[in-house]
Amino acid sequence: MTSRLKRKLGDIGVDPSSARANENFCLVSIGTPLPPLEKSRDTGEFVPLWKQEVRDEKGRRRLHGAFTGGFSAGYFNTVGSKEGWTPQTFVSSRSDRAKKKVAKPEDFMDEEDLQDIRDSRKIVDTTDEMDFSTGKQPEVQDDPDADPLTAALRTAMLPPTNDSVGARILKKMGWRVGQGIGPRVTLKQRRLQDLKASTSTGYHLPQTAPDIAVDEDSEEANKHTYAPRDTPILIVERKDNSHGLGYQPGMSLNDSLGVKGSSGRPGPNISSGFGLGALNDADEDDLDVYDSGSANVRNRLAYDGTDDHDRERSSLGGSKSKSVSGPTLSSGKFRDGGAVLPGFVLSDKPVMEDRWYPLPDIPPGWKPDPKRVWSQSQPQEPAPSANKENIKNDATTALPHGKWKTSGLSADEVSHTFSNSNPTKPFTRGSILGETPLPAAPRSVFDFMSQKDRERLKNIAASLHPPSTGEPSTATEAASQSSLTPTPTTATPRIPRIDPGIARAAINGFKPFSTNPVKQARYTAYLQSQADPSSTITLEPLSNQSIPEFNSEMDEYAQSAIVFKPMSGAMAGRFTTAAVVEHGPKVIEGLHTPAFKDEPPQDDNAATADKGKETKDEKELSPKENAARLGMYGPLTRESVLWQPARLLCKRFGVKDPNPEPKPEDPTTQPSASYTQDPSSSDTAMAQDVSAADYGIVTTTEASRSTSTGGPRDLANVGLGDEDDTQGRDTLTYERPSIDIFKAIFASDDEDSSDEEGDQTVDGEPDLPITTNSNITVAPIVATVTENQPVDPNTFKPTFVKREARTTKTDSERQEKKDKKEKRKEKRKAIVSFMDEDDAGESLKLVVEKPKKKRKKDKEKEKEKIKETPESAPRGRKRAIDYM
Amino acid sequence: MAPSRGPLPLARNLHVTLDGHKGPVNVARYAKGSAKYILTGGQDRTVRLWNASLGTEIKAFTAHGYEVLSISVAHDNAKFASSGGDRSVFVWDVTTGTTTRRLPGHMGKIHAVEFNEDASVLASGSFDSTVRLWDMRAQSRAPIQILEEARDAIQAIHIDSTTILTGSVDGYVRAYDLRQGELRSDYIGHPVTAVVPTQDSQTLLVTTLDSHIRLIDATNGKMLNDFTGHTNSSYRCRACFGHGEASIVCGDENGMVWAWDLLDAKLLQPNPPPQVHSKVITWTEHHPSDAGEMITSSADGTCKVWRHPA
Repeated sequence: MTSRLKRKLGDIGVDPSSARANENFCLVSIGTPLPPLEKSRDTGEFVPLWKQEVRDEKGRRRLHGAFTGGFSAGYFNTVGSKEGWTPQTFVSSRSDRAKKKVAKPEDFMDEEDLQDIRDSRKIVDTTDEMDFSTGKQPEVQDDPDADPLTAALRTAMLPPTNDSVGARILKKMGWRVGQGIGPRVTLKQRRLQDLKASTSTGYHLPQTAPDIAVDEDSEEANKHTYAPRDTPILIVERKDNSHGLGYQPGMSLNDSLGVKGSSGRPGPNISSGFGLGALNDADEDDLDVYDSGSANVRNRLAYDGTDDHDRERSSLGGSKSKSVSGPTLSSGKFRDGGAVLPGFVLSDKPVMEDRWYPLPDIPPGWKPDPKRVWSQSQPQEPAPSANKENIKNDATTALPHGKWKTSGLSADEVSHTFSNSNPTKPFTRGSILGETPLPAAPRSVFDFMSQKDRERLKNIAASLHPPSTGEPSTATEAASQSSLTPTPTTATPRIPRIDPGIARAAINGFKPFSTNPVKQARYTAYLQSQADPSSTITLEPLSNQSIPEFNSEMDEYAQSAIVFKPMSGAMAGRFTTAAVVEHGPKVIEGLHTPAFKDEPPQDDNAATADKGKETKDEKELSPKENAARLGMYGPLTRESVLWQPARLLCKRFGVKDPNPEPKPEDPTTQPSASYTQDPSSSDTAMAQDVSAADYGIVTTTEASRSTSTGGPRDLANVGLGDEDDTQGRDTLTYERPSIDIFKAIFASDDEDSSDEEGDQTVDGEPDLPITTNSNITVAPIVATVTENQPVDPNTFKPTFVKREARTTKTDSERQEKKDKKEKRKEKRKAIVSFMDEDDAGESLKLVVEKPKKKRKKDKEKEKEKIKETPESAPRGRKRAIDYM
Repeated sequence: MAPSRGPLPLARNLHVTLDGHKGPVNVARYAKGSAKYILTGGQDRTVRLWNASLGTEIKAFTAHGYEVLSISVAHDNAKFASSGGDRSVFVWDVTTGTTTRRLPGHMGKIHAVEFNEDASVLASGSFDSTVRLWDMRAQSRAPIQILEEARDAIQAIHIDSTTILTGSVDGYVRAYDLRQGELRSDYIGHPVTAVVPTQDSQTLLVTTLDSHIRLIDATNGKMLNDFTGHTNSSYRCRACFGHGEASIVCGDENGMVWAWDLLDAKLLQPNPPPQVHSKVITWTEHHPSDAGEMITSSADGTCKVWRHPA
């Protein structure tokens, strides 16, 4: 044993000199235990997050924790050596010239980047579709004479061919590439085939082509026969767009009409994967960056085209660009491939040419003033008439489209009426040209009615205003009406639902229609109706609003509620509403078209008056701003509101709290309006300003809801449970009245007060709620007169005495105690039973049956009535103790 | 010297120039008490303490990470508060030069800070349009109350014994009266950049960005006087009262210091005043007690102390 070992043994308390300290013992107990076998550990074992390590592919540890070195661990994560990375030194000598190195991006990449690049270079050949890769070595078997070694070498070195199954079968049958299929043909036949191929599909080829003349020098060639040409494959391109037939994206009008389009596809190369809409122009994003140029690169042959040596023949791909390059296009074939009828020649001029006329000379100083034109047309505007018949008579200009649609006139009728004043109406043009009139809608029933009947119908229609349909009196009239105004008859007011939470949030949120108070009021009302599904606020269409308009308005509100609901929580605190409310002019999108007023202004005075009113309105919008602008500071620009400083703030400033906390008020004193509307929110205030009824907001608030809490209680309902929320609250919060009250009520004058006192104290907690019941049946007042000294309820405590001692107690005492118990029990019962509905009446009585005074004789009777027996006393005592 | 009617002429003799700041000086405040010292805060993120009569820089307080926009000195000169681009209020101990509190909570630049009279409450007004009232007595870092009535950035705060005055870019001067529990908002109509009340708190001097300075009656919001002539349309140029509140002094964006008679709103001579700063004058403050001293700070990087020739 070495001295070290001895010392170690001494450290662990083993006497080295003892017999037990032999070699074996040392090995067993001192030697380091072998680590557990790593192999046996489950590699997929769960490792807690803090034990997991990130290692790169070389096993170096990445992502050192802050306490194990941080970024400085592992040689600063650089190159894994202590010296780090040494920059390359430039060495150049006469004998060994340094080569001028051009820095490549790869020089600055690490292994991962390089690996990425390598991965990205693996080109996926999208054209290689026909690879049934099961037959990779087709030619191995077809020369069995070759020795296996050569075959193996060939399969290893040659790239696998991409022949299709058909090509492979053909090859097995002895066909070779370029040899065609079928018997060999003469030169002439072959030329014919070439021609056929060049015109691709070849519908009506002239059987004898004059241009296939055999040359003089091809006499030699005539002696031989040739392999036939490959049959062109008919490739039908899938039409995955919605263009018209023959249309190519980016084709101009001239292209589509003339021959100029033959110069190839003008548009960019669109990715074939995208179906472009007819209106979509191709832009840079649609370019297929992976499409390698044009379609003629694609392998359209059934066999592997790489070993095709016959380059001189035109390829049979069938792509347009190739077919266009044929020599006989202009005479023989339309652009879409259809052959021209024999005897016709395709024109090479466009059908229609745009003619451009030079602009007229604009007089100097002329300025475009569309208003002048509009104002010219204004006085010619037809007088306002809801009367459709009148339109026929005095119309000089075209009707607006909408009116025209609803006027019930067919196209030719309208144009008939206009034809006098304006000779270039479509109908007149059509009649000049000799067109047959358009198949118009069948004439309206109105046309066959007398003037009187029409008047009558019109009056009926006017009386039923909002839905513009008149009341049909007969079936035919109904039919005619529905043909007149097809949609509104079926439409019903429809109010979209939104989530109450969203609606509540949107009420407090942005007010999107603040420039239009009417709309905003309706919007608010809509939100309120949605926020509280049980609310009775209903929206109705405005008087001048049709039901579809109303529906779209409601849809708009629902949309705005979703859009403008305020952000919740922390985000909401970061924004405030803008101070300035936009009261700017309402901008109508689109081109300005003069709004033809129904009523032309009577005279200039009216117009100026209108203008004055408008400016006044503008002023009324912001009196405060106007006052400030005019320097009229003072009451107009000042507003005072109540402000509640925090209590701590008042304390710090040494100021008394100006608005001390209001005492918790009885809920009945609160205004009933708070149940339906939040008075603090300004928009509801606005809604009240603009009288709500005008906007169709019907608020049928049940007044009973507020009176249910506020009104006097109906005694007949007391105790029925469902009509009063506050029922029982006074029971729970009951405070014992002072003894004087009880005295005043229950004590008669002749009773001596000591007796009274004792009675009270015996009762302990006396007394029970509800004293206002009118039909109280005053029960015989029970009194317990105590023989012993009075018991003070504050100091009284039940004491446990031995059974012997208890039995020795006087009978009277026991009885007295029992009485007490009994009374407590009654009391208890009363309190409890008030909750129960079934014996409510009884309990009410019990409550009043307040044991108060009783003479001794009565007491005995009372005892009899109460069916307590002395035997049951122990149980009762226990319960009495429980009560305390 | 015969008793002169009207205000004393303005102190227009340059006494010293305090040019320690490296960028625009945004604010310059006198210390309390005898006001022998000046605190300036600048765009260079420092607050500097100067001796007004000698013009020497005593100390630079550097903890701000952004520009300093406002300074308020406590009543006992023991501490001051500063605020600026870094959305917290810094409360400094003057002697040690360290911050004792940093009160975060605002969501934007803090344009104004103000102590109340016994420095138990600090108010800060920010670009986020709120005024936060901080308790300087308790350890709690939460504001006592947040005044959120303003609709735009708060540019000016003044606190007197029972009222908190705020001026906001939304064109309102708001007076939060603690004693009456009332908020009186006066609509001025133009962005308010400074609100300075008179000693008796009866009138307010309101500087707005329409090149007007208005004297507003605090009790009913009426305008008592309107002072114009200077140029102030885009910068905060704080106007102040001259000595004895007999005149109005304001530096404008052309570097000129203008003075008006308080009563008849007439410009005091010289008219037009000479240009004394090369850039916009951001702050003007008259000495609280000395009749012949005032300071101006400017975006040209200097703060100047003006005195009467004596």
